[in-house]
Amino acid sequence: MTRGSIFNRLKGKKQGNTSQSPVGKHTGFTNQITKNLDDNLMNVKQMMGDPGDLVVRELTIGGAGTRAAIIYISGITDEDLINNNILKTIQLNKKEFESNQLDEIHKKVIAITDVQKSNNLDDVSFGILNGNTAFYLDGQETVLLIGTTGGESRSIEQPDSETLIRGPRDGFVESIETNIALVRRDIKDPNLRFKQHEVGKRSKQKLVLCYVEGIVNPELVNEVSRRLESIDIDYISDSAYVEQWIEDSFLSPFPQILNTERPDKISSDLIQGKVAIIVDGTPFALVAPLSIGDSLHTMEDYNQRWFSATLLRLLRYLSAFFALFLPGLYIALVSYHPGMIPSTLTYSIAATREGVPFPAAVEAMLMAITFEILHEAGIRLPKVIGQTIGIVGGLVIGEAAVSAGIVSPIMVIVTALTAIATFSVPSYSVAIAFRTLRFGFIIAAAFLGLYGIVIVYIMINIHIVNLKSMGIPYSTPFAPTFTNDWKDLVLRAPITKLTKRPSYLKTMDSQSKDNKPG
Amino acid sequence: MSTFKYGDEKITDRDIMVAIPSMAIAIGIIVFPRYLAEKTTASDGWVAVILGGTLAVLITWAVAKLAANFPNQSFLSYSSYLVSKPVAVVMTLLFSFQGILLTAFELAAISDISHQYLFDRTPIEMVSLTFLLVVVYAVSGSRAGLFRLNMMFLPIILITTGLLVFLSIGYIEKDNLLPVFKTDFRGYAQGTLDSALSYTGIGILFFYISLVRHPKKTSGMAAFGMSWAVILYTIIYLTCIAVFGEQSTANIRFPLIELAKSVEVPGGFLERLESVFFVIWIMAIFNTTAMAFDVAVMAINSVFPKVKKLNIIFTLSPIVFFISMIPQKYMEIGKLGDWVGYYGWGMTGTTAIVLWVMYKVKGAKQSGK
Repeated sequence: MTRGSIFNRLKGKKQGNTSQSPVGKHTGFTNQITKNLDDNLMNVKQMMGDPGDLVVRELTIGGAGTRAAIIYISGITDEDLINNNILKTIQLNKKEFESNQLDEIHKKVIAITDVQKSNNLDDVSFGILNGNTAFYLDGQETVLLIGTTGGESRSIEQPDSETLIRGPRDGFVESIETNIALVRRDIKDPNLRFKQHEVGKRSKQKLVLCYVEGIVNPELVNEVSRRLESIDIDYISDSAYVEQWIEDSFLSPFPQILNTERPDKISSDLIQGKVAIIVDGTPFALVAPLSIGDSLHTMEDYNQRWFSATLLRLLRYLSAFFALFLPGLYIALVSYHPGMIPSTLTYSIAATREGVPFPAAVEAMLMAITFEILHEAGIRLPKVIGQTIGIVGGLVIGEAAVSAGIVSPIMVIVTALTAIATFSVPSYSVAIAFRTLRFGFIIAAAFLGLYGIVIVYIMINIHIVNLKSMGIPYSTPFAPTFTNDWKDLVLRAPITKLTKRPSYLKTMDSQSKDNKPG
Repeated sequence: MSTFKYGDEKITDRDIMVAIPSMAIAIGIIVFPRYLAEKTTASDGWVAVILGGTLAVLITWAVAKLAANFPNQSFLSYSSYLVSKPVAVVMTLLFSFQGILLTAFELAAISDISHQYLFDRTPIEMVSLTFLLVVVYAVSGSRAGLFRLNMMFLPIILITTGLLVFLSIGYIEKDNLLPVFKTDFRGYAQGTLDSALSYTGIGILFFYISLVRHPKKTSGMAAFGMSWAVILYTIIYLTCIAVFGEQSTANIRFPLIELAKSVEVPGGFLERLESVFFVIWIMAIFNTTAMAFDVAVMAINSVFPKVKKLNIIFTLSPIVFFISMIPQKYMEIGKLGDWVGYYGWGMTGTTAIVLWVMYKVKGAKQSGK
């Protein structure tokens, strides 16, 4: 994708005398930088439609009074920098320049490191839109683009979506430069690569593909790059667009690429031999490939001692099981296999269900849907009135529904436990998959009891074994089996034993040498 | 699209090692103690299980060894070389028919058992249809995916069955196991034959070994995998006899499920666990069924390479469903099972012997690839 393709297209249209440009009037400018300063300034203004935030400051240089101008857009530039290191130094300079004025100014006057030259209006306007300052000198066909990107941005905060008790407190922000810096600060390896791509035909957002050369399997990098090249879209508001564009199967309920706001997560995954994708304008970075085994891991697992971390992981597997199966199992047991429940409990369940007019499946469906609505509303509600949800959920749905005889108290317990279990799944996108599949289990249990549950379970497994993430089987390291990787799967072995990189990533580094055939 | 070598359609020795017990453990595991207890005295059946198992392990090894001599060649291609093309085509189609029969039998049996233990009002066709559809879904996916499924389910099955044996320890009565070695030769012979029949599906090796990239060590791995099944069968048999005694085992329709019925989870959390155990064995039965069906599809596909895999699947599934609906009573289903067993063993045994003889005569052709 070439930069400035729209400008070229617009220019082409203009030259062809077809004034029906899709983006308003764009007549009266040429793409060339001329020797006449006024023409140049006019061109830039015309091209951008003379917006209010475009600052054009004209000035004279040296004793001879050569005319010059600086152009930038206020708000996305660091104006202090412009005033002190460009304007001030130029104005204070009284020396005369001989042969090549622009070169001399570049070398001796402007006190900013990042300066580029350009003689093409596309590049200049792209630079200005990126927060650079363009320096025009009368009589010159070359323009200096001075790096003055700045402006307001969010400072580094603790990520809301993934909080830890113990671990680094910094999270990604919207600026890609800051995010790259955060990763660089973690990994001071010259082999750390940030391969730059550009996405968004109109938005021209930066996207970097990071990996550690010498660890990552080059085939993985090639595959991800190939898919990134294929992105063809005007604007991406979040890395989710990238994720959905390059994922292997859009029919799957499971996320095939992990998203995270944590630099430490990215860094540790890069060191493991994965690749990360950081997109400008969003704090969510992507990590690929993702396997089903990773979906219940958190960074905290490595920050706690192995024994407690292992127990926590087991607990998380248990809650994942509850999140998926509990309502389904309840329906299956109550409607099809009441014999399995201990008899005293059967009586009390029967007693509580006495006044309930619906079969267990309908009851479960009602409660599950109600919960999903509460959950969704809770996210959208402003924080100030967020407590309302607690009252509505706890009191109205719980108490009142039971006393009104719509649902049984046991069902409320089941729903509540399921809900809590769902929240203990660390990744939100995985949790959504579980919430969706839960309804599958409820329906299956309603029709076929335990048999239905196992049938749906088998189907999900069939789906998982056929799913891939960047060409890597999603079900690994369970199957295809890499027993070495099991040390950090359901269990979390002591850190001193985790000296090898995951074998399923087929990394280049000898540290994870694998001697299995095939 | 698949960039990593293990992500493609090729499999490893270990996949074969897991596939063999996954294939062998099926409906047989639930019913075989009954057949065996009918023929032998007290706990002597274990001798028959081991003998039958040894036979199965040997055949497994022989088949795997033969197929491994022709790495990356399909059954049709190497058997054509050994016994001429027309014979090879007939053999392939016979294997395919075995796959169809086995699928149909498992389907019939699973519907019958679920009808008895899980729900008695749901129409039986509904149960077998859903099962068949899931099998079709699995087979339409990638073949490597089937092996991954084995890998996902086999540990669950082994652990659950081990748990069941563990929970039954409290119910064991030593006297049931005695006296030892009182069975006559005839009993042992019949018992061996019966238990050998439970080790189904060695024939899949003829087909699946062509997917193994480096099949040098595969024969050993396959035999090792089969020995897991033998060990599991022995343990289950001994447990059933020790808990129920020979007489009752011979009269219980599904001894293993009854065993699950009699155990209790400490703490009284759940009762009557047979549904749970049965549901987990459904996974084992599913693996067997899916692989049997897949081999049937694979065999037909090798004879008619131009027909799409999906078309074969959609043509075969109504046939399978129809065959599975033929037996009406459980006795007839048992008959069908015996039939399928004899057919499978006859087919596999004959093919293995014939091909081995021809192999000795002709020697190995250079690998086709």
